[in-house]
Amino acid sequence: MAREHLSNGGFFTQLASLIETTHQKGHGSVYLTQKRLTFGSSDPSPPTAKVPDDPLWDLHPPNPLPLIVRATDGKSHKLDKEGGATAKGGIGRTKNGEKVKLSTVVQPDDIEAFFTRYAEVCKGGMRGLRRRDRSKRKKKIKGRRRGLRRV
Amino acid sequence: MVYLKTPEEWQHHSALLLQARPTTTRITTKYKIPNLASPKYQKPNRRKRDGGEGEQKEQHTGSKVSRAALVLKTYDPESGVVLKLKTDKAADVGRLIAGLGRLGRRMAALPEKAEEAVMEDAEVAEQAAVGGAAAPTGKETTAAINDGKAPQAPGGGGGGGGAKKKKKGKK
Repeated sequence: MAREHLSNGGFFTQLASLIETTHQKGHGSVYLTQKRLTFGSSDPSPPTAKVPDDPLWDLHPPNPLPLIVRATDGKSHKLDKEGGATAKGGIGRTKNGEKVKLSTVVQPDDIEAFFTRYAEVCKGGMRGLRRRDRSKRKKKIKGRRRGLRRV
Repeated sequence: MVYLKTPEEWQHHSALLLQARPTTTRITTKYKIPNLASPKYQKPNRRKRDGGEGEQKEQHTGSKVSRAALVLKTYDPESGVVLKLKTDKAADVGRLIAGLGRLGRRMAALPEKAEEAVMEDAEVAEQAAVGGAAAPTGKETTAAINDGKAPQAPGGGGGGGGAKKKKKGKK
């Protein structure tokens, strides 16, 4: 399943559809991870080579480093149809080849724009969360008014 | 593992952790829609029916609407520190992701944006940066950086102070 990193735009498109499918299913999770990208970059010299003598070797790299942002549906395993119903724990499980895995590399210069977009996608997609409850406030205000009238 | 109570606290302690271990620390955001049909959500209900009171039972069934939650987790595998934050408020999403952006800047080793709330951190980072530039591998510098950071942890207060100490012990 080792795939190429998506472009930032492609990542957002697929992330939005991943959140959407999770909603349609009615249950499930979306995992989003962000981390400093420490290897595999196009830079020929490794930006952060570990220095064994210095425990703080990675605190002040000379250049800003890119980030890697990943998204998955967390479905590493699936239940076997034959053994899954009876077997509990890891017995009935097999590797899920259809696990959704998305990843993208964010260059230091793009961080600002990326997270703005990221917030938009998440705010738009995560509609299962609790909205700000305005009805309660209204009720309270009404109640107070009624109280005032009675007095 | 620590569950922090407010997004601000989580942000603050995650920033400290990232400052100490910028390469290994990762932040995972989990958006979870629970499956209410799964056995996990059936069990506690049954228990309540057996031993609980009527009122409690009604409350429990009343809240059985599929309610999504957002869990943010900052994890450093090297020291084993986990900082978690759980929320189910849609209003938090924007703020939290803006926070992820700020933490992302730290991960990328970009300078802190000038903001009042994080000025204190920025100053410390600057001090450390100056020391690091002078002699990146010297052990004296290491000590100097530690000195620079040490007064900051108690200043932050809260539960994360413990996590910070643990990390330092392991070094």
